[in-house]
Amino acid sequence: MKKLFVLLLVLSIAGFAFAGGQQESAEPAAESGGSENLEWSKQVDVTKIKSRDGQPLLLEMEQKEIPERPEDPESLPETDPMHWYDMEYAGWSAEKVNIPESPADGARGKEVVVIINGDHPYLTAFGNGVQKVAGAYQMDATILSPNWDVAVQNQMLDEAIVDEPDMIVLVPLDAKVAVQQIRKVNQAGIPIIVSNMLPEDEGMKYCIAWTGPDDWGQFRMLAREWADEMKSNFEGEDIGVAYVQHAPGGSPYFARCWGPMSELSEYAPDIETLDYQAPGFEAEKTMQVVSDWITRFGDDLKGICAADDSAQAIGIQEALQKAGREDIVVVAAGNSKVGMDAVKAGDLHAITYQSAEADGAIAVKTAADWFNGEEIEPVRYLPKKVITAENVEEFMPAQW
Amino acid sequence: MPKLDSKQNAVYWIDRNRIYIIFLGVFLVMSIFAPNFVGLRNFTNILRSMSLNATVAIGFTLVLIIHQLDLSVGSTLSLGAVFTIGFRLMFSELPPGMAWTLGVVIALAAGSLIGLINGLLVAKAKIHSFIVTLGMMIIVQGVIYMYTDVSLSATTPADFALSDFMRMPFLDSIRLLTPRILIAILSVVGMEVLLKRTRFGRNFYMVGGNRDTAWLAGLKADTYTILAFVFAGFFAALGGSMVAIEMSSSPVDLGVNSLLIVVAATIIGGTSMMGGKGSVFKTMIAVLMLETLFNGMNRFNVGTEFKIFASGMILAGVVLYEAYYIYKHEQLKGQRAELLKELEDGRKT
Amino acid sequence: MPDDLNQQQPAQQNSPPGQGNAAAAPPVSRELKQSGLNLWINRFGVYVVAILFILVGIILFGGSFFNSKNFLNILDAVTLLGMAAVGVAFVTYSGHFADLSIPTTMALSGYIAIELIPLGMFMSIFTGLLVGVGVGLVNAFAVGKLRANPIIWTLAMAYVTKGVVRWVWLNKQIYPDIKAGIGNEHLADAFINLYRIRIFGSISITVIILIALVIAAQFLLKRTKFGQQLKVTGSSYDVARLSGIKASRVVGTAFLISSLTAALTGIFITSLGKVGAYYNGEGYDFNAVTAVVIGGMTLNGGRGDIIGVLGGVFVIGLMRNIMTLMGIDTFSQTVVQGIVFITVVYINARSLRKLGRDDA
Repeated sequence: MKKLFVLLLVLSIAGFAFAGGQQESAEPAAESGGSENLEWSKQVDVTKIKSRDGQPLLLEMEQKEIPERPEDPESLPETDPMHWYDMEYAGWSAEKVNIPESPADGARGKEVVVIINGDHPYLTAFGNGVQKVAGAYQMDATILSPNWDVAVQNQMLDEAIVDEPDMIVLVPLDAKVAVQQIRKVNQAGIPIIVSNMLPEDEGMKYCIAWTGPDDWGQFRMLAREWADEMKSNFEGEDIGVAYVQHAPGGSPYFARCWGPMSELSEYAPDIETLDYQAPGFEAEKTMQVVSDWITRFGDDLKGICAADDSAQAIGIQEALQKAGREDIVVVAAGNSKVGMDAVKAGDLHAITYQSAEADGAIAVKTAADWFNGEEIEPVRYLPKKVITAENVEEFMPAQW
Repeated sequence: MPKLDSKQNAVYWIDRNRIYIIFLGVFLVMSIFAPNFVGLRNFTNILRSMSLNATVAIGFTLVLIIHQLDLSVGSTLSLGAVFTIGFRLMFSELPPGMAWTLGVVIALAAGSLIGLINGLLVAKAKIHSFIVTLGMMIIVQGVIYMYTDVSLSATTPADFALSDFMRMPFLDSIRLLTPRILIAILSVVGMEVLLKRTRFGRNFYMVGGNRDTAWLAGLKADTYTILAFVFAGFFAALGGSMVAIEMSSSPVDLGVNSLLIVVAATIIGGTSMMGGKGSVFKTMIAVLMLETLFNGMNRFNVGTEFKIFASGMILAGVVLYEAYYIYKHEQLKGQRAELLKELEDGRKT
Repeated sequence: MPDDLNQQQPAQQNSPPGQGNAAAAPPVSRELKQSGLNLWINRFGVYVVAILFILVGIILFGGSFFNSKNFLNILDAVTLLGMAAVGVAFVTYSGHFADLSIPTTMALSGYIAIELIPLGMFMSIFTGLLVGVGVGLVNAFAVGKLRANPIIWTLAMAYVTKGVVRWVWLNKQIYPDIKAGIGNEHLADAFINLYRIRIFGSISITVIILIALVIAAQFLLKRTKFGQQLKVTGSSYDVARLSGIKASRVVGTAFLISSLTAALTGIFITSLGKVGAYYNGEGYDFNAVTAVVIGGMTLNGGRGDIIGVLGGVFVIGLMRNIMTLMGIDTFSQTVVQGIVFITVVYINARSLRKLGRDDA
């Protein structure tokens, strides 16, 4: 009767899902055959692949100098770069535990499950990078998205463990929770590579490697560019700056506020931090915060650093225009289309270059290297670059 | 009262047990079509993913039964998780067992306190529960961020041992239940028995169904309202706390998506928004149904957007069906079916 | 049984059963309380709160706070919220709590508007608004005609539309200049500048639109037959129905208005952000209800007006402004906002009760 309506609905939905799934799983995985596979996959050349913005997908890896760890970083003031040591240099000194032995039989036909952290244009581009490299190596990559929910991400990991793929790539949602997640996969004997977001140092023990952007390094670079611009624009004046923060929880919340702040405390100690707020990623709210700052600090405010170059940057820009304060130097984390356009138009002074496709590509490349039995360094960074009006054309069109 | 014929009987039976039928349908379809779906380890996964929202939904269902609404359960469960780890770390000089116990107790107390404040504001200050709990949702989220803007974790070997204990099936013969799943199921069954088999529990239904009658029957309606909110806070915190132990860490926004799932499951499980009707057990089955659906869908590698769409369609279908049922019923109000039938029969002859 | 939850019951559910009897008693006690403060609060409601905040602002910051520029900034920052709130106010006024489907309506109308930019500005905006009408009609049918529970139904609607939006556009963002194509840059610019038009140099077009909306809505609510019917329906659905009002149509219209303003807001949000994205409009559902209720509308329906809603929106902006000026961090701000919200509603409800104008 009508009561069956609901049941029918469920069935039809399941039917839909089935039809969708059929298309996906049509391709059989290639046979992996011993040494022949290994030789083939060692010869695969991925350096020629380009990402959407015309930049090579996999550039030279960034080298980073690792300083000595201070006695107790937490006891140092927040404006001291060393206070953030454990976050910035996570993974370099970790002693690996229970890492599975590489089969060293080539990458072709290997099954890789990539669990990202949610649906976002950046992560769509990330997925493109994953597929480009996986395609080159003829690996079978599945991308799952938990829609920004830690509990769902845990479930997806549990499900992946049951399916026993050859490799799991994880983009953590939360640095602390990631420790248990990585450990869980490690216990199940499945190799895991962590990507994009830094987990807590403890978690680095259990993964083969971490790959992704050097958020701290990027922002230190950006901070120097920013300080130089402000110093040349406002010679001899007092300079005050404010920060629009990322949403709390992950490492960007810290790296994109205290990263530049602590860098400036050494590079340009006379620049004063006025305030920092986390209004979320809504243009309207950011606009109000910035308007209020202008009211509150007046001419002291000379620079703003934002954790996002789209909604937040637009909110800032609107507020500055309204107040006639376009002299304020704005920098942001990049590099969305909106942000690139703003740099081109001169509304933003500089943004960081973080190639989403390369981010995904480097994780899968590392997996392939591991299947090939190569030595893997514990951390692989994406190259650091700062985009200003001078070089913005090189990075067009934007990846997302 | 005319006797129901067998067809009507069947219809009522289906309606009463519709959640079981839907669940079985989903389960069968997934078993047949979804790759790698059938298997004890995967069933454990489904139960594991059910535990959190099923626990939180206990309180939410109860609040609906007394004809109120609690939007703050999502924030409260985050608070439960954060406080469990936070206070465990605060007492880290104590032996781990002790510290964990204190952490859980404080988290549960905090959850209950939030419920108590909600209840008092609703029952005594007479503010609408939609407003109270909406305000409380914002306040609690703010309090969490004030308490810590970074997620917390406990990483000593003892913590990992506890976490493994919570996560692994504890019976080697049936590798299905983990301690956390068991806690969730026991909470649900315990509450179901309390609500259906004791006078105290049945009073909640009476208060929710008709407050005036309940008052005439000598029940302190305010007390039951407050208690229901306290239960809601308690179980939300319990759900969060158990997840935190299993992860031995707690993100600051654990409950962002829970409210939607909990609301959907409660309604699909047959709890009435008009109060006085509902069952925490059926709510749990509804959560289980949704999780089975999601798990199966993951196996087809369909995107989040499809899962959102599917759960929305199911919820919309159930709401529409119920509304339509009542709409029809309304139209017949005041008409006596047997007289109509006689009239029709008379016409025919 | 079907309509209790939405209509007359909320009025009773919070009251102790004893009050039913008290109502039968001679209304002497009520007369006594019909005094100064309560009447004052009841009449001016949200403006008392606004003036209090303004006084706090003046005492703390003096001239830098109390000038037209700062006030324009405050207003500017809440205009989009205000537009959405005006629509939701009709739903609340009709006794149906809230419309939780507005965020996805916003996202959807933004996407559609950008997709249709090549056809010209008029078509783009018109079709964007049409999306609102579409969602509104579905809500009107389910809630108005079939009497589905408004909160749950609009929540389900939010799920469904969100799923559709994310499915159709594959979680991608779309950009006006790319969609407009080569040779149509002026159209893309026109769309992006929609939010940025300023009149008299400093007053944003959105402020003008908000004020126009408020005046129109206030007129609709207080001076037309529809407004009268909505008031009766909001106060008691059954009474409305028995007195010959086509209640289902009236309620449906309220939802239609809500979706329409949401679509309008969505177009402006998209124009402001220069991008169509599925997360546009997130958070506007509860924020709009907050503004409406602070503005003096009660969830029981049939009470309050649009001018009050404007006040509610302004108070939210004012509160954020003062706290940022004081240097309070974002998280403490949310806590304060929550407490103010509950307190304002409590005072408002209490004064109504004392005046005998509400049995809640």
